[in-house]
Amino acid sequence: MKKLFILFMVLALAVSGVSGDATTRAPASTAADENGSTVLILAATDDNGHDETTATPDDLENEELPWLDDDDEELNVWDPLEPINRGTFWFNDKLYFYLLKPVARGYRWIMPDPLMLGISNFFSNLASPVRIINAGLQGKFADAGNELTRFGVNTTIGIGGLFDTAKDHFNLTKKEEDTGQTLGYYGIGPGPYLVLPFFGPSSFRDGIGLLADSRMVLTYYLWENRDYWTAIVLEKVNQVALDRDTYEGVKKDALDPYLFIRDAWAQYRQNKVEN
Amino acid sequence: MLKQLFIILAASIMLATAAISSAEMSPTDSIRGSVDSILTLLQDKGLDQTTRRKEMRKVINERFDFRAMSQRTLATNWKKASGEQQQEFVELFSHLIENTYIGRVEAYTDEKVDYPGEKVKGDKAVVETLILTASANIPIDYKVYRKKNGEWWVYDVIIEGISLISNYRSSYQEIVSKEGFDGLIAKMRDKIKELQNQPA
Repeated sequence: MKKLFILFMVLALAVSGVSGDATTRAPASTAADENGSTVLILAATDDNGHDETTATPDDLENEELPWLDDDDEELNVWDPLEPINRGTFWFNDKLYFYLLKPVARGYRWIMPDPLMLGISNFFSNLASPVRIINAGLQGKFADAGNELTRFGVNTTIGIGGLFDTAKDHFNLTKKEEDTGQTLGYYGIGPGPYLVLPFFGPSSFRDGIGLLADSRMVLTYYLWENRDYWTAIVLEKVNQVALDRDTYEGVKKDALDPYLFIRDAWAQYRQNKVEN
Repeated sequence: MLKQLFIILAASIMLATAAISSAEMSPTDSIRGSVDSILTLLQDKGLDQTTRRKEMRKVINERFDFRAMSQRTLATNWKKASGEQQQEFVELFSHLIENTYIGRVEAYTDEKVDYPGEKVKGDKAVVETLILTASANIPIDYKVYRKKNGEWWVYDVIIEGISLISNYRSSYQEIVSKEGFDGLIAKMRDKIKELQNQPA
C-alpha cells in the first residue's frame, strides 16, 4: 500500500510537471476553436493561483440583454483522459447503483436518523486535522483556530464527536479545507480531470490532495488493516444513506451525465479554492 | 352612479398600489415570495404530485427568465440559431431546468430556508439563500436582474458554488460542437420524453 502510494505520488508529480508545461501553452493553442469561445480556465492559472478567465466571448452580447454577459465565466475542463475517465465513470456508476445504493438503503432501514447523523459527525470530527492543517497552510489562522476549537468542543462535550455541539450551541460552523485547495491556493492548477475508481470525480491535483488528506484523518491512526477499511466503508455507506439522491437527480436530468458532473465538479473545486 | 364611480376609483387605487409595491420589492423579497410559495406547495399534503408540480411550474415561470437563461447557455450558438430554433430551445430548456430545480427542491421538503443577505449592483443582484438540513447547510444563490416593470427575475441559480447556467453551457457547447444544434435539440427532446415516461 505504501509502495503504491509512493509510486502514485511520483507518477502524479511527473505528470503534473508535464501538465504545468502544457498549461502555459494551452491558451494560445486552444483559445481559438471555431466559435472562438473556448477559454481554458484550468489551463490559465497564473502564478498567484488566480484564474485569468479570458474575456467572455463578446458574441454573447445581444440586443435584448446586453449586460448579462459581463459576469460570465467560461469553464472548459481539460480532459485529455476522457476515454479512460468515461470508463471509470461507468464503473463507479454501476458500483453505486448495484452495490453502494442497495447497501445504503438497507442500512437506512435499520438505522435511526439521529444515529446516522451522529456517525456522520463522528467521522467529520476525525477529519478535523485536515481542515486545521490546510486552513493554517493557507494562512487562514482564524479558520484554523475555529476548526481547532470545534475539534476540542465536539470531542469532549460532543462525546467523541457524535454531536456537533460547536455548531449547535456555539455557532461555530465547519470550514471545509483540504490539501487540494491548499495546492490551488499556491497557484497549482487542477491539471487533467481524473475520475478515480471508488472516489469519483477529481483531478491530478486533487487526487494528490486526497492521498495527503487520508494521512491527516485520524481514522488512519486509530485503526489498521481490516478495521481501517471497515471504518472507511461505514463512513461512505452512512454518507450515501444520509444523502437525498443527489447523484440520481443530477443523472436523471443531464443530457450527458459525464459532462455535466465533470463541469459541475470543476466549478465546485474552483469555487472552493477561491474561497 | 356614485357607487360605480367609487368602485372604479377604489379598484384603480388598489391596482396602482399593487404596481408600486411590486416595483419596490427588494430582490430578497421577490425570491422569498417564490420560495415560500414553493415550500407551501411542497408541504401541502393534500395535493397530488401532478397538481403540485403544475403549480410549482407556475411559480417558477413567474420568477425564472428562461429566455435570458437560454441565451446565456447557448452563448455563441444563440446568435447562430434561427428565431424558430431559439424558441424551441427556450421551451425545451425551461422544461429541463424546471425538472432539475423541482427535483432538487423536492428532496428538501422539511427544511428551513435562511436568507443571509443580498448584494445589489444597479439592476442586478445576488440573493443568498441557505437550506438548513440536519447534516449540512446548502447555499443556493439566485442571480436576478430588474426588468423595466421593476420586477426581479432570476437568470442563474448557483448551488454550492456551481452555476447551473455555466454548467449547462459547457456541456451543451460540447454537444453542439460534436452533433450540431439539431443534435442538441434532438437529445433534449429524447430526454424530456424519457423523463415523462418515468415515474418521478
